[in-house]
Amino acid sequence: MFELIKNVNIDFLSKRKLAGMISGAVILAGLVSIVLHGGPLYSIDFEGGTEIQVLFTESTSVESVREALSDIGYGDAAIRSFGNEDEFLIHVKTSTKSEEQVNTIREALASIHGGSYEIRRLETVGPKIGKELKGDMISAVLIAMAGIVIYISIRFQFMYAIGALVALTHDVLITLGLFSLLNMEISLSVLAAFLFIVGYSLNDTIVVFDRVRENAKEKRHDGFLSVINLSLNQTLNRTVITSLTTLTVVLILLFFGGEVIKPFAFALTVGLVVGTYSSIFVASPVVLAWDENQKKKKNS
Amino acid sequence: MSGNLRMRVFLVVLLVGSAAYMLRDTISYYTMDETQREALIESGEMDEMRKNIIHQGLDLQGGMHVVLEVDLEELIKTRVEDSDAEIDALISNSLDEAQNNESEFFPTFAKNVNATNIRLARYFPIYEKGPNSDVMDALEADAKDAVDRAEEIIRNRVDQFGVSEPTIQRQGAWRIVVELAGISNQAQARELIQATALLEFVLVHEDPQLLDEVIRNIDKAWAADMGEEISEDSTDIVAEADTTVDETPSLADVLSGDEGDSLSITGTGDVGRPFSSLINVGSNTIWVPEENVRSIKRKLEKPAIAAAVSSDSKLAWGVSPRDITGDGRMHRALYLMKGTAELTGDVVTDARESLGGFSGAEFVVHLSMNDEGSREWTKITAGNVGKRIAIVMDGNVHMAGVIRDKIADGRTQIEGMNDLQDAKKLAVVLRAGALPAPMVIEEERTIGASLGADSVAAGTQATVFGFILVVIFMAIYYKGAGLVADIALVLNLGFTLAVLSTLNATLTLPGIAGLILTVGMAVDANVLIFERIREELRNAKTVKKSIDDGFNRALTTIVDANLTTILAAGVLWQFGSGTVKGFATTLFWGILCSMVTAIFITRTIFMVMTERKTMTKLSI
Repeated sequence: MFELIKNVNIDFLSKRKLAGMISGAVILAGLVSIVLHGGPLYSIDFEGGTEIQVLFTESTSVESVREALSDIGYGDAAIRSFGNEDEFLIHVKTSTKSEEQVNTIREALASIHGGSYEIRRLETVGPKIGKELKGDMISAVLIAMAGIVIYISIRFQFMYAIGALVALTHDVLITLGLFSLLNMEISLSVLAAFLFIVGYSLNDTIVVFDRVRENAKEKRHDGFLSVINLSLNQTLNRTVITSLTTLTVVLILLFFGGEVIKPFAFALTVGLVVGTYSSIFVASPVVLAWDENQKKKKNS
Repeated sequence: MSGNLRMRVFLVVLLVGSAAYMLRDTISYYTMDETQREALIESGEMDEMRKNIIHQGLDLQGGMHVVLEVDLEELIKTRVEDSDAEIDALISNSLDEAQNNESEFFPTFAKNVNATNIRLARYFPIYEKGPNSDVMDALEADAKDAVDRAEEIIRNRVDQFGVSEPTIQRQGAWRIVVELAGISNQAQARELIQATALLEFVLVHEDPQLLDEVIRNIDKAWAADMGEEISEDSTDIVAEADTTVDETPSLADVLSGDEGDSLSITGTGDVGRPFSSLINVGSNTIWVPEENVRSIKRKLEKPAIAAAVSSDSKLAWGVSPRDITGDGRMHRALYLMKGTAELTGDVVTDARESLGGFSGAEFVVHLSMNDEGSREWTKITAGNVGKRIAIVMDGNVHMAGVIRDKIADGRTQIEGMNDLQDAKKLAVVLRAGALPAPMVIEEERTIGASLGADSVAAGTQATVFGFILVVIFMAIYYKGAGLVADIALVLNLGFTLAVLSTLNATLTLPGIAGLILTVGMAVDANVLIFERIREELRNAKTVKKSIDDGFNRALTTIVDANLTTILAAGVLWQFGSGTVKGFATTLFWGILCSMVTAIFITRTIFMVMTERKTMTKLSI
């Protein structure tokens, strides 16, 4: 039998204070960054605006693109070159009707090098639709979380639901914070990745909980702490293998999936790592803490 | 083999077989070359095929997704007469307020109006005089009608976009979503969506000889065109024409019994008459069986063939197919009309559907015109009693009604609608030609075909690469059992794609990512089972007992864990839009299929393996 991890007996729960501090520090750093940035950095999907990926037949420079855009009053446009000197991503905040905006930008682009260009991607969202989308997606994440709590409360117990919920919130907060720290935008697809993280992290957590539930039935006398530790060790091989295979494909997506899907794949990668970590170091300790707290209340 | 196991094996074979069957169209669609595709389009089989395949999302094949919203500011401005600072401020403040508070405009406007003692009827003379609430209701109805008109205009133009499956959908009361796949000229498409409609009243030629002549001329031009084509490469258009005609023998009898006049049925399918062999003629109108419409349209667009119709006439298609033979076969009308319109739609002041006609219970449309239009209309109707006049929007005939009498006051009643829906639609079309339907693009997402192709290539590469790595890993780590898991993995991917094909689902770039993720996660169920089996083996149980216990114990875990991910995918599907929905769909079905393959199929394989002899060692 070829095993990754042999006969382990790691006392995961003894590290729970350290893990809590690390998680706390990372979340705090992310939150500070978000506050300093004045909220999460939303893409045009939620904020409104125009994003144009343009390919010029002749190579040009960021400066000349910026100059052309300044002439029409979009001097604050974010312009990013795609490696070569012929493909650019232009990002303009919304001001007037998006339709007029797009038309003026087209004219400006036409003024560069005789106007031979191809628009590979154009996305423009009016501020109104952006706001609505934001509301929709936030309620989607909240509804998913609520559904999950209800499901776990029914299949397990309420305290497990709390453990899972804390772990989920932890994962989403860390990913959100990391996006803010790295100055990356939250787009529709990134939000979809968040929802996937919610599902995946939970998947991981439930596998552990399932084992805890099973062991708790058989070995009541051992104490809850050692039951959880045993369960974490028993499921460790599975946790590591599944995370590795999923991480492998997500990393491949990140590096070979193309430019368009990169932010999405990045969110998935971060969420996967954090989700695996949280199912060991966050979800179970929370359940333990809740259990100990309940027992204390009973005794007093 | 025990009966239970035999049943299991049978079910597995059945599942694999049906998946392969479900995938057949998708596989042949994406592996065929251009000429085969063309042939299927010509024969009309493509439509049937496209119902059973996985479609590529706009982000993969390139295309346009546009959300149009009624431009209330523009609409109201054009409705206000004698405007002053007070009404202007009231309107623009209400617009701003609604936008900032994410509330509806009309309730906001009503609230602001009530706060003043303005009398709206003064500024909106086009609506009937009444209290403010009536005027506001009329204004709101007007705005809603603008969305109806815009939608009808876009639907009417769908053919001109030149895309295979455009979708036009209403979103709430004020928005229209238009999706055009594989569009090559973005600017032109954008204009087509927004341009105002041209409505015309055009007389239909009621001259059988003229129609005959035109058909003969087209036959000649078509045959010449075909000759060229055959000399270039020998296509089988001739043979096609033959078979189509054979299927329509009874039409003449039915039609003549019905209408009784001027019928000439053509169609022996000889090479010299390629056009007339595809059509039927009745009541001075060409009737084209639905399956021939596409190929005839293409031919008629060729300049050489279009020139066969003399310049003082033109051919125009009717919009709605009709079952003129009464046997369920649908035909589209092709009218030979005068080259110039008698009247254009800007003279229309209103058009409303209602009940009327001879019995008073027929569905009719009441059409009213302004003074200038009425005068012209009187002349036209007086001179052409008994002839048909077509209502044409942007080149498509929506109705060709017979003029019964001279209409002197510009108030016309149009009869012959099948139901209220038909009448409503015609009324909207008539209004669309006269009243502006100002719409603005609130959201547009356009992906160029080249970027889409890049995404497909990158996504496919990533999927294949990831898939191979996972397969190799499983084989190394779990050896024999790993190979069984690999079989399950291949089947999982196949099943997922099969379900997506049957659902006629759209695969987007995030959808491909969802597919890759399921590959990664599908092994999870097998990992859970295998780890459990290893544990049982360590407890010195027999191979068979270990496998049984391993599967049984892992089962609840697998179900519990996967159901939560499915739950998240379901929520995503419910709230997500476009590309996000594609992600949710593949994730949802992928995980569901992985449960079937991991729990049922791998277990069956193990059962078959351990059935014959008592195994003492398991490769895991």
